[in-house]
Amino acid sequence: MNELNEIIHQPVRLRIMAALTMLKPNQEVDFIYLRDMLDVTDGNLGAHLLKLEDAGYIAVKKIFVERKPRTFVAATVAGREVFKAHVEALEAILKLGRKK
Amino acid sequence: MQITPNEAEESLAAISSMKKRMHQAVANGGTHYFLIVWGAIWFLGFLGSHFLAEKTAGYVWLALNVLGGLGSWGIGMLLHRRVRNPSISATSGRIGLFWLTLFAYCALTVWIAWPLDGRQLAMFIVIFAMLGWIAMGFLLSFFLIRLALFVTALAFGGYYLLPDYFYLCMALLGGGTMIGCGLYIRFRWQQS
Repeated sequence: MNELNEIIHQPVRLRIMAALTMLKPNQEVDFIYLRDMLDVTDGNLGAHLLKLEDAGYIAVKKIFVERKPRTFVAATVAGREVFKAHVEALEAILKLGRKK
Repeated sequence: MQITPNEAEESLAAISSMKKRMHQAVANGGTHYFLIVWGAIWFLGFLGSHFLAEKTAGYVWLALNVLGGLGSWGIGMLLHRRVRNPSISATSGRIGLFWLTLFAYCALTVWIAWPLDGRQLAMFIVIFAMLGWIAMGFLLSFFLIRLALFVTALAFGGYYLLPDYFYLCMALLGGGTMIGCGLYIRFRWQQS
């Protein structure tokens, strides 16, 4: 059975990974759009993204679009695999709980 | 790390909700927005052609097409701001160029074939626009091909079988179908 991942399990990070893993490989989501979707502050999202980036689960790219700085975020291959394993672990716990 | 089945269920619900929102926001490349905008333009434009004088209807079409072009550009920019795919950025630009080229060729064909009556002109535009949708369908989703073939069949049916109601037919069935399909796609993504 897969183990729960403590980094991903935090509620905001769980939602970040859920959103990012819905994107196709090579797609990146805008920081502002992700912030609005999650309904969190810039600082809060930034801190959670840093944690996920340090773990290697996401890639953060800062670029200039029309001379304005923009930040795009994407799930890495490792992040997708870890998130999938985490979801499977959650499903297994739920399944076991229903059996009891 | 240990959690209860209830906590697992809550986490899975949060994941599901987030996935649904993201899917709805970015899936299908925003096709439904374009369908709704251009469906509304067809609906209003063909209604104008049916009820207004030919010259006035021509101006209405011109204004609607400018609005549609600006609207499509705005939607494209909005979608690109949310999610981008660096590997297909060049392709997006080429898609824009394809539509410009297609409309230029449509204009050339109309110029060569001139004089045309209003219904013939509308059919030329419908045929070229649906050819564009079919090309987009091969690139993005086969659903668009089925839709384009259906609208083309409707246009030919209206042109030959109901010539007096051709514009009305295109407004209600052509424009209505595009709006309906746009809403259907949006609703389907909300449900999935």
